[in-house]
Amino acid sequence: MSENQNEKHDPESLMSFWMKSATDFWGSTSRMWPDAGEPFQSEGLKKQFQKLESAPKMWQSFILAFSEPESMSALFKGMDILPEVVLQTLQSEWGGYSGLQKKWMEKASRMGKQSEDYKFEDLDKDIFKVWAEVYEKEFSQFLNIPQIGLTRFYQERVGQTLNRFNLFQIAMSEFISLLYLPVEKSAKDISEKLEEVTKKGDLSENFEEYYREWIKILEGHYMVLFKSTEYIQGLNKVLDAGENYFSARNHLIEDILQLFPVATNKDMDELCKEIYLLKKEVKKLSKKVAGLK
Amino acid sequence: MGGPKIPIDLIMKKLAEDSEEVLKTVQKASDVLLGSLDTAISTTPCDIVYEEDRIKVKHYKPKTKDTLKTPLLLVYALINRETMLDLQPGRSTIQNFLDEGVEVYMIDWGYPTRKDKYLTIDDHVNGYMDNVIDFIRERHNIPEINLMGICMGGTFSVMYAALYPEKIKNLITTVTPTNFDTDQGLLHVWMKTIDADRMVDTLGNIPADMMNFGFLLLNPARLMIDKYVGFFQNVDNKNFVENFIRMEKWIFDSPDVPGETFRQFINDLYKRNLLIQNKMELGGRRIDLKKITIPLLNFYGKYDHLVPPGACERLTEAVGSRDTEDVCLDTGHIGIYVSSKVQKEFAPRIARWLKERDKPATVTATVKKTRGKTSLPKKEKKKTAA
Repeated sequence: MSENQNEKHDPESLMSFWMKSATDFWGSTSRMWPDAGEPFQSEGLKKQFQKLESAPKMWQSFILAFSEPESMSALFKGMDILPEVVLQTLQSEWGGYSGLQKKWMEKASRMGKQSEDYKFEDLDKDIFKVWAEVYEKEFSQFLNIPQIGLTRFYQERVGQTLNRFNLFQIAMSEFISLLYLPVEKSAKDISEKLEEVTKKGDLSENFEEYYREWIKILEGHYMVLFKSTEYIQGLNKVLDAGENYFSARNHLIEDILQLFPVATNKDMDELCKEIYLLKKEVKKLSKKVAGLK
Repeated sequence: MGGPKIPIDLIMKKLAEDSEEVLKTVQKASDVLLGSLDTAISTTPCDIVYEEDRIKVKHYKPKTKDTLKTPLLLVYALINRETMLDLQPGRSTIQNFLDEGVEVYMIDWGYPTRKDKYLTIDDHVNGYMDNVIDFIRERHNIPEINLMGICMGGTFSVMYAALYPEKIKNLITTVTPTNFDTDQGLLHVWMKTIDADRMVDTLGNIPADMMNFGFLLLNPARLMIDKYVGFFQNVDNKNFVENFIRMEKWIFDSPDVPGETFRQFINDLYKRNLLIQNKMELGGRRIDLKKITIPLLNFYGKYDHLVPPGACERLTEAVGSRDTEDVCLDTGHIGIYVSSKVQKEFAPRIARWLKERDKPATVTATVKKTRGKTSLPKKEKKKTAA
């Protein structure tokens, strides 16, 4: 690659070239406009045209200021560090993913080990812990970046809703995995039982017997699970995460509804409460009046 | 790998042998499912005699000449619907009451909507129930009526009887939770830990599907697997399919629960257990169970996984009445109302009990004290899946 070509593709020179063309265009446009206002005698319209005139001038001065070599360098210095940010992000994401994969591998290697009857103390929830940690430490930060500008409030709401939805999904997956544990355990138990009776040559021709036994074992495992603190914690966690998400979603819907000429949820709730209180009062008074007759 | 080996070859052999039979079953099943099925529920004729907001009162008139003087009001729970008491001809509690000469009124709580989310237990007991009972008293020109509550509706009925003892002649509670300080049922364990305030603040009314999912989780092996395996095993049996569909229709026809009522039920009852301690308040009035001095008949199911015996059996000791009776049936929560064997005894027994007390007040006072537990005769005991 020649030096000439390098100069040609240098972003600073490209930017300067574009800015020069833009300045020339807006400069010539602004010179055309003053004449356009002259046929109109109205003072109000003249003022409007004066305002329009000032806009291209402002653009011109803004671009000229940016065209200064110092400003350009400062801008491109910022751009230079962008690949670094992307690299760092990718590294941290990859780190998280590797951790997750490592845990998956660990879990996979434990598969096929002896199932311990009616014991849920050693629940392997690490996989979800890792997932939750990776999400909270790496992904959720992007949704929590402080928002700026006029619409910052709305952007924050969207980010919060997405974040809470993801957290709800994580809690739900953890909960579903808890519900699946008894199925896994009972399937293992019944297959051990089948192997045993096959070895003995006592395998029944009626497989419904084994189905009945499996259901009984499954029911037993579920009963133990449902009374465990792990399950109760999981249930509360999923309810909590669900409520967080629904609450954020409701706020977001509220914001959207406010843009339209319709009553929002909050308006409707307030109205319902007023009607409820009024009805209660009317019924109470009606009873009193009926008692007086 | 040293894991267990399943004899797949034997299973496959068995399947091949059964395939011809399976084919016949599938053909018959398709005839059943594609043919006309009678799956209507709540078919006993009735009149709607009272309406207020979302609620309606159904009136069932007996055709027999020998009827009870005092009508009976049935108060169902806010969870699921009262149609369970009239699920199908031949297995209808309502029909059995009519056959015994009991005139029946029944509250249909309807489907709460958003505007009902502020309704509290007070609104249901001191509001709707009191208005309905006044309406029936006025209609029959009598000072007191018989009251029967089912599950949560039983809890409401107990509250009502304590607040308005002058309006109730006899009280029957069936699978009614009044003591919530028990770890016998999973519901009692779970409800103590949930944050009802957050749930209501976020959701308003508690969605029926959410409640249903919670109930299915009480026994997923039976309610989510075995039940449907049973259905497919009997899918070629028209009668079985019709009954199964009726039950499915009822069980998933669930109204939402008004938010504030749910909040109060969880906080005041499941968490603080206020009712049985005489500490609960409704509309500024304290509920004192000792004020219930009328005859009380208390039914509950030995295998009830929703409202276990421990949640029901303290009531008879807590009330002021001396004419009380506990009846523990060998069945589950729903079996009391739908099991054909229990049906033969349940409504006739209530009718007999009411007839014995359907006399002028002075005579009622002489009824012998029957405090204590009794059970159905052993030959009639059975385990019925709820």
